[in-house]
Amino acid sequence: MTLQQKLDDFKAKFESGGPPYNAPKTVIEIFHRATEELRQSGLAERALRSDDRSPAFTLNNQDGNPVSSVDLLAKGPLVITFFRGHW
Amino acid sequence: MELEALQAALPDIHRLGANLVAISPELERYGRSVHRRLNLGFDVLSDHELQVGTQFGLVFVLPDYLKTVYAQFGSKLDEFNGENAFRLPMPARYVVDQQGLIRSANVSPDYTIRPDPSETIRVLEELGREKDNR
Repeated sequence: MTLQQKLDDFKAKFESGGPPYNAPKTVIEIFHRATEELRQSGLAERALRSDDRSPAFTLNNQDGNPVSSVDLLAKGPLVITFFRGHW
Repeated sequence: MELEALQAALPDIHRLGANLVAISPELERYGRSVHRRLNLGFDVLSDHELQVGTQFGLVFVLPDYLKTVYAQFGSKLDEFNGENAFRLPMPARYVVDQQGLIRSANVSPDYTIRPDPSETIRVLEELGREKDNR
């Protein structure tokens, strides 16, 4: 199964309102509203895109050690994925 | 789900000479938790106060009605992120070349729509071909 198929599967289960999530209809509507408002805000269209210069950064990793994008780019291309969190 | 899919693609990413990092606004201990749970072979970076996410233009503030729902689900963003601003990054995946230019960007206001890792691999293959041709 591809990543998108898995996400679709999760969404279908969640929005069915059944187990294991048992999401109330009101909650599903709230998520839809929030996504729609974020879409309407146009924020995604204003984010950095292809041909923009990537900001350089140094952030701590999971062990508290600093990781520098400049050091990683000296070795090769860099894939960066932004995600919300462990929840 | 996306992190697991990227983990599965990690050998291909490395084979193409590239590296992968994941960035979330959470404190390091939560990054450690997800790193262990999913047995990730790449770093999970802690973007405290979303400074890098802001530079990429990804950050939004949760509306109040959504904060309430998150609280019900046990997603304590104030604790997880170590700030009370209730901000999150939109899910995004970038490929940056060695000159520091963004060569592929996928930003989604809908967290249930994400690109397949194979799309990222294709971009890295293209970068590899460019390098061979120089």
